[in-house]
Order: sequence, then structure tokens, then C-alpha cells
Amino acid sequence: MSENNPIAIDNDGKPIWKFLWSELKPKGKIFTPFNIISVPIILLGLTLIVIRFWKGLGSVTNLTQEVPWGLWIGFDVVTGVAFAGGAYVLTFMVYILNMKKYKSIVRVTVLNGFLAYVFYAGALLLDLGRPWNVINPIIGNNFGVNSVLFLVAWHFLLYMIAQLIEFSPAIAEWLGAKRIHKLLSGMTIAAVIFGITLSTLHQSGLGALYLMAKEKIHPLWYSEFIPIMFFVSSIFAGLSMVIFEGSISHNVFQKQISEKDHKARTGIILGLSKICAGTMFAYFFLQVLVFIHNRHWDLLNTPMGYWYLLEMFGFVLLPMMLFYFSYRRNNIMLVRVAAILTILGIILNRLNVTVIGFRWDAAIHYIPSWMEVVVTLTVLFTEIWIFRWVINRMPVLRDSPSWASKH
Amino acid sequence: MDGFSYYNIFETKGMEYLIIIAFLALLIPFSIILNRKVIIKRQFSKALGVLTSSILKIPQGVFYCKNHTWAHLSKSGIANLGLDDLLLHFTGNVRLNYMKTPGDSIIKGEVMTELYHDGKMLKIYSPISGRVEETNLLLTEDPGKLNEDPYGTGWLYKIKPNNWKGETNSYYLAESATEWSKKELQRFRDFLAVTMPKYDPDTTIFALQDGGELRDNLLSELPGEVWNDFQQEFMNP
Amino acid sequence: MSINRRGFFKVLGLTGAALVIGREMKAAPGGNGDIDFRGVLYDSARCKGCRGCEYDCAEANGLPLPGPAKDIPPIRHTSETKRTVVNEYKTSKGTVFIKMQCMHCSEPACASACLTQAMHKTKAGPVIWRGEKCMGCRYCMISCPFDIPKFEYHSSNPKIQKCDMCYNRLKTGEIPACVANCPNDALFYGTRRQLIKEARKRIVENPKLYVDYLYGEHEAGGTCWMYLSPVPFKELGMKEIQKASYPALTKGFLYSVPSIFVLFPALLLGIHQATKKDNQTPEE
Repeated sequence: MSENNPIAIDNDGKPIWKFLWSELKPKGKIFTPFNIISVPIILLGLTLIVIRFWKGLGSVTNLTQEVPWGLWIGFDVVTGVAFAGGAYVLTFMVYILNMKKYKSIVRVTVLNGFLAYVFYAGALLLDLGRPWNVINPIIGNNFGVNSVLFLVAWHFLLYMIAQLIEFSPAIAEWLGAKRIHKLLSGMTIAAVIFGITLSTLHQSGLGALYLMAKEKIHPLWYSEFIPIMFFVSSIFAGLSMVIFEGSISHNVFQKQISEKDHKARTGIILGLSKICAGTMFAYFFLQVLVFIHNRHWDLLNTPMGYWYLLEMFGFVLLPMMLFYFSYRRNNIMLVRVAAILTILGIILNRLNVTVIGFRWDAAIHYIPSWMEVVVTLTVLFTEIWIFRWVINRMPVLRDSPSWASKH
Repeated sequence: MDGFSYYNIFETKGMEYLIIIAFLALLIPFSIILNRKVIIKRQFSKALGVLTSSILKIPQGVFYCKNHTWAHLSKSGIANLGLDDLLLHFTGNVRLNYMKTPGDSIIKGEVMTELYHDGKMLKIYSPISGRVEETNLLLTEDPGKLNEDPYGTGWLYKIKPNNWKGETNSYYLAESATEWSKKELQRFRDFLAVTMPKYDPDTTIFALQDGGELRDNLLSELPGEVWNDFQQEFMNP
Repeated sequence: MSINRRGFFKVLGLTGAALVIGREMKAAPGGNGDIDFRGVLYDSARCKGCRGCEYDCAEANGLPLPGPAKDIPPIRHTSETKRTVVNEYKTSKGTVFIKMQCMHCSEPACASACLTQAMHKTKAGPVIWRGEKCMGCRYCMISCPFDIPKFEYHSSNPKIQKCDMCYNRLKTGEIPACVANCPNDALFYGTRRQLIKEARKRIVENPKLYVDYLYGEHEAGGTCWMYLSPVPFKELGMKEIQKASYPALTKGFLYSVPSIFVLFPALLLGIHQATKKDNQTPEE
């Protein structure tokens, strides 16, 4: 009987529904600092979401007719997706280039990437004015193939599926489903290749969204090369997030990580910092090239010009050099500082293109309302809750069961 | 184009996306077929190991036939027949299918047994003529004995020969048997050198030619097509 | 062998499907049209600022009527309750009025941006909004160089409001509401060719009255709503817009997508197999 049903046997021999129910119960302490801070914010955010749907977008956000995309798109979607770029870079390194050294962190990065996309696509749904029609571009009513947003939306969908397939062996191991696990492991390389192609296109696609807003974005940030910039910066954005979030989960979940993985961690972080340094070096020169191409010398001596220089030198060149030095001196603490600076730099860059530099000359400057910030935090915290739930139950940080490594 | 009537610069986008879907769908079978032949090459590469004449058992006093069978006349006038060690080192563990039962008569050159490994088959021809007295029932229970002790408890048939002297006249004995075995080993290498390119044209077989060692039980890992070639080119001439 | 046959039939089936769909798509809106665009010519020199067009527009579209004239500020933007506004400017040649509304571009940025084709450039010329498809993403607002689409931020079922050249009236053979009742003949409805001819005629006949420029002839790749003015257009709040169409700005990116979709999987597959082989070849 158990042979017919591929998910009949789970870890403890319990029937599947009892197993899932028992997994829903919390593990670990209830009153951690994170829980105490995040729960009220999540509850407040949920209330605000209800108000947003009841009274319209304007009741919760500060969006105007001149600035229709604000924090939710500029930060949640555009910046969040840039940080989820670690998944495609790491799967490229491990599955395509066969760099076995990074294999131990692939799963957690793919999990992060998957959750990021799910939640940021969810945040997108909050921002839509008529979300019940979101099904239209999917079913063909109509396919707006001339739109960059159509491409980005479809890629999000397909990429989530590809990441789910990449991550599903871990789910199969959690449920003890051996035959499905074999099938899913065979599909990994196809999902990885598909995922890398999709990622390239939608990371650059998020930049291409703004190509038509030629006069609306400050000239120092607008160029025809925005898509390439977004793509290249997503590489080191993703890796910096891997370093940053890896340091946190390494501490929080350290009981799960095996001896071998602990020791390998330093080598992994230094390797990632080397890659970041190289990519940021290329990115910086790309920015210089584009700046010269656009010939906006005179704009450097304006407030926005100083802001631009701050972003380039303080948040691209500086962390690049920190990555470089920390790699040469084997200094993990410096790598973490560089990673945080890079993360801030990416947030700055994305916000500059989408919110700060967008209609910088508008009569009423757009500043996000506190309600938008709370909803953003709600999305972020809920994502972290789900992440913690998965890590505590599925073999992501800890080793896979022995039967799984045979596949 | 001149702005007076409808013109869409993205008109073909939908068709292009369909073609992309077709391409991705076809890429998978395309790459699978492209890599299929490589499997046989990998099997050859894995098979490189050590098989030299020094590990062969070649007891003296036993007549060796060119088809890698042996015959030994005991004092009672009954001859034992079996398979020689070199062949068994090529094939590895096999199942036997006796073609004759006690009471049958057998002629030299007739198929006396078939060797099976994983669906691949070799025909073995009898070295002498005579009447089958016994078949070795021990081998049906314990086929491993065949490879362990091919000249002793691993005998195949006990036969009362018709023309022992005449038929064994051209067979190898003692030192000439050892020499012959070495030559057969080299002939096997040559056989591989000729056969492998048939399945993978750009294979590198230099390792075999300049004295690279052959692995034990090499044939057991190669596919059925190679067994057929082995029967035709190596065993039968 | 069986994979070969399967692959062959797959190609056959897909080609067949693609041909059928392709034929359908060619017949559907997407190919080159043979209908001339319809548009409107607005003549600022003839406009007396009565704002009758604002009343007619609001009436025809179920929007709140504009208040008494003394309460109306001289310069306004269109909004989610006002599809058109007539602004008053003090210029070098005295008071000049200008009517603002959707320009109905020949290659609209909004229609190119819309991922559900809710913003739709009709074959006849007007750019319309189709609510049953719209999901309220507001990408059209980001893309429009004239900042025309307006969103109902305070509604739970928000619509996009913009002038649609009274498309429903055009379908029954009438002309747009604002054109129909203009007392001073400042609005002229016709095909785009007729508009350009008429505009050039007026400029030639009254060279002192008009600035020798037809706004909208080339702006954003050409618009269907064009303007004649007695003063330079900058003085009337009309932005300087690029002459090329806005969707052409995304052309570079969208044209390269299929190439990447084809090259990347093949390249990645190749690299994957190259690095895999290296590990498995035994030392020789």
C-alpha cells in the first residue's frame, strides 16, 4: 500500500496529515526579541492592508498622479528582487561551473530567493489598483507582448516555479518521499538553466521598465543602459545579501550546521567577497562609461550631483575596496561591513532610479507615508517568519538524510 | 510608419515567444540524443584495469583448445571439459546453459554451452567428440565455482571421447599453453582497439596499445553489441 | 530512435500551431492598418476660453461639471475628475488659452506599456482604456510623456481617467463632444492628413497670427491631437518632447530578449557539460 502512494511514508511513520499538523506547531521559544517586535507590526500591517482594499490606495499611500509608483514598487519589488539575485548567481556557480565549494549554501540561498519572489510578488498585488484582473495577462486577456512589464510579470511567475523545483528536493526529504525526490533531483539542472536565463532577463527588465520615462528620471540616473546596470548590480547585491543573511542565520541556527560546514564557511565568505569585488570593479567602470556617454558634467555640481557622487564613491567604490582588502587580509569582519555597505548602496541606487530621482522636479515631492513603511515591514517580517519555519523543519542548513545523497 | 495609420513595432513579439517555447522544449531531447553515444565510451574508459598473464591459472597436463576450452583425460578414460581461465577473466561471472544432457553425443565444434551475463550471450563450442556422461550439477547451485576453480571443481562436462588423440593433436599443452595465453591477451587488446572506434569514433585507445593494463571481467561491463563482435571476431576464427 | 520520432512530431505540431496562431494574429489588430487615423486640430488663436468643451466633456462622460468660472484657477492639470482642462496663460501676445487632454499618440507609450492591452490604440486613432482588462498597475502613468492617465486613488474599484476622443460617439458616426459644440470653431475633427493640411493652410494664410509650428506633428513620433498657437508653445506650458516615439526606447531591450532566451540555455548547457566531463575523465 505504501508503494503506491509516493508520499505515504514520512519521517516518523505517521500518516501525512498528522505529520503536517504536528509540524505547524511552534518549535523553540515563543518570546524572542524578534517575535516581540515583529508580531505587533504584522498585525498593524494586516489592518492597514484591509483599509487599503476598502478605501483605495490613496488612503494608505502618498502616491500622486505624477508619482504613481512609490515605496512598494521601488523598494519591495525592485530592490527586493535585486537582493534575491543571489539564487541565480550561486546556482550558476555550483551547477554550471561546478564549484563544489559553495554547495553547502545553495539550498538556503534558493530558499531565500524563492521566498523573496513570492513575498515581493505578493507586495505587488497590494499595490495593484484592480488586483482581481491580475489574471488577465496570464490567461491571455490580452497578452500585452509589447510591454516590458508583461515580460517581467511572466518571468516572475516562471522563475518562482523554477526555484520551487530547485528547492523541492528539500521538501521531499522533509516528507520522506523517496521516489519524488529522485524525479525532482533529475530536474534540477533544467530548472537551474531556465532560472538563470529568466533571472538575467527580469533583473535587467526591472531596469527596462523605466526606459520610457526618459524625461522623468534625473539625467544622472537615466540612460539606455539602465537594464545592464541593474543586471550587473544584482549579481553583487545578491551575493552581499547571501553574506549578510548567512552571518545571521549562521548564528541563530548554529545547532543545525555540521562541523564540516562550520569550517567551510570562512572559505565560502572569502570566495564570495572576491567575486563581489571583481563585479563591483566592472560595474563602477560601467557607470563611468555611461556617465561619459551622457555628458552631464555640469550636473555634478548640483545637490543631486553630490548625491550621485556619494552613491558612486561611498557605496560602490568604497565597499569594493573593502571587499578587496578583506579578501587579501582574510578578515571576515571587514567582509561583513563591506556587505552591509553594498546592501545600502543597492537600496540607494534602486530608490534613486525609482523614487528619489523619479520626478525629482515635481511640485509635490513624494515621501512614503508611515503606513507604507509599516506594510513593507509586514511583508518583510512575514517572510522571515516563513523562512524560520522552513529552516527549523526541512534539511536546508543541516545535512540531508542519507538516502537522499544517493540521488 | 508615417504616422497616418496603425503600425505596431512589436507585432511579431507573440510569435517570437512561441518559437522560444518550442526551442526550449526541443533543447532537452536534442541534448539527450547528442550525449547518448558517450555512454558507451564511458563504459570503455571505466573498464581499464589490470589483467595480465601472470594472474592466469594455467595448469599443466591440460589440453587447451583455440576456442578457450580445455580437456583433460583422466586415468579412468573419461575426459573433463571446461572453460579456460582467460575467457572467464574476460567475461566475469556468468550463468551457464548446458546444451547437452548425459547420454547425448557431442561432436567437436558443436555448441556445448551458452554463457549468459545480463542478457548478453556467448556460444562455446566443444573441443572433442564423444558421449556425454555427466554435467556438473554443482555449477547450477554455485555458479561462482566456475570462475574460482575452472580447471578443478568448475568442470562443465564429463565425456567419453571417441577420438582423443586425433582431436587433441593440435591443441596447446603446458608451456606452449602459457605462451598462447599471452598471445591471446594481446589479441584481445587488438580486438578492443578495433571494436571501440566502431562505437565512438574519437576515442583514445593509446593506453591499451602501449601496454596499458586490462581490467578484470572487462567484457561484463560492455554492451551486447561488443559481445556479438567478440563471438564473431575473437572466438570463432 | 523513439525520441527522434517524438521530437519530429513535436516540431511538426508546434509549427502547425504557430502557423495557425500566426495567421490569426496577422488578421487581428497588430498588422499594418489601412484605416487613416482620426484626430483633432486645436487652434489656440481661435479659442476664447469659454470652457464649453469642459462642460460637454464632463457631461458626456458622467464626471462632475466644472464650477463657476470665477472659482477656476487659470492653470490646472487634468485629474481623475477632469479629462480635459482649458488653461489661461498671460503671454507676450496677451491672454492665450490652451486645451489640455490626451494627445492620442500614433505610437502611444501607454499602449506599449500596458501588459494587458487595457490601454489600446484603436485602428481609427483614439487611444482608449478598457476597464475589463486593466489591473491598475499604473505603468501607463509612468510611461506617458505627457502625464495624461489619471488614477482614482480613493476608490476601491479605481479607474484610469483620460480623454478617449469620445470613442463611443465616433463608433456611431458622431464627432467628439468637445468638437461638436465649440462656438468658435477652435476644434476641427478629421483624418490626420486632413488636419495637417488644414493646419498648414492656416499658417500660410495667416503668417502673423500663428507661430510656424504644428505641435504634435512629430512629437512622440506624431500625435493625433495637434496644436496651432499664436505664441511659442513653451509659453503655454507645452513640454518639449522628443521627436521619436517612446516605445522605440524599449525596442533595444525587447528585441534582444528572444536572442538571450535562445543563447543562454544553449551556452549554459554547454558549459555545464564541459565542466561535468572534466570531473569524470579518468587519468590516462
